Amino acid sequence: MRGFSASLEAAERQLLRGLFEDVITLLEPEQVPDEDPLWAMVGLDPNGHKEDFAAPSDRATKRLLPDADPDDAAASLEFRRLSERGIRERKIGALREAALLMESGSILLNEQTAPRFAAAVNDVRLVLAERLGLESEEDAERIHAQDDWSKAETVDEYLALVYNFVTWLQESLMQAMLKSL
Amino acid sequence: MTAMPDVLEHVEQAQAHELDQPYILIVWNDPVNLMSYVSFVFRSYFGYSEAKAEKLMMQVHQEGRSVVATGNREKIEADVTAMHGFGLWATLSKADAA
Repeated sequence: MRGFSASLEAAERQLLRGLFEDVITLLEPEQVPDEDPLWAMVGLDPNGHKEDFAAPSDRATKRLLPDADPDDAAASLEFRRLSERGIRERKIGALREAALLMESGSILLNEQTAPRFAAAVNDVRLVLAERLGLESEEDAERIHAQDDWSKAETVDEYLALVYNFVTWLQESLMQAMLKSL
Repeated sequence: MTAMPDVLEHVEQAQAHELDQPYILIVWNDPVNLMSYVSFVFRSYFGYSEAKAEKLMMQVHQEGRSVVATGNREKIEADVTAMHGFGLWATLSKADAA
C-alpha cells in the first residue's frame, strides 16, 4: 500500500491536536435544542429559513466559509442555506480524524486519509493567518522570517512560530503527496 | 395514481434554461494557501494534468485569480462546495459576467 508517514514529538502532537480542536469549536454549528432531525439528515441549516440568517460574523470562520458569489449577496446566502452545513460537517470530520491521529507518535496516512489531513492542516493555517492579520505577501514573508522560539515574547510572535511549524508540516506532506499522484 | 398538471411543464423548462446557463469557477489568490497544495487540489479534484494544474496555479498566484472550471450552475456549485472544503478561496459567476 502506498502511503505517508511522519514522526512528530509529543509536544508537537499536543500542539497540533489543540489547534485541530480549536478549529472544530469554531466550525461547530450553533445547537438548536428542538431541531427536527430531518434538518440534520438532509444537511440543511436549521436557521436557514430565519430572516436573520447570515454569513459568519467571525473573520476566521468567514475565511473558512467564504461567500460563493460576491456580486450577489442573495445568491451567496442561498448557497449557504444549502451547502454551509455540509461543508462545516465535512471539515469537522477531517479535523476530528486529524486530532485522533495525533495520539500516536508515528502518523500514518494513506491515499484516502492524506488529502483530508492536508485539508485539516490547511484550515488550521487559515485560522492562524486570520488571527495574525496575515493579508499580503509582505505579511507572509515577515511572519515566515520568525524562526527563533527562544525570542518569542508576545502572543503574536508565538502564534507566528506555530503558523510556521504548521506550514512546514503541510509543505512536507504536499511534496510527498504530489510525488505520489 | 396522480396526474401531472400541465402548468408544471413550463416551470421545469424555465428552470432547465436557468440551469443550462454557463457558469465559471474562479479561484482567488491568498497569501496563505501553499502553491503545492493548490496544485494538488487542481490535480486530484479536477483530474488536471500536472502542466495544466501548474499553469492555473501560477495564474492564481501572479494574476490574482484564475478560471479553473466551467459548466452549468449545478456543476459549478458542487465545485465551489468542494473548493471551500479544501479551504481554497473560490467563487462562481455567470460566464458572461466575467
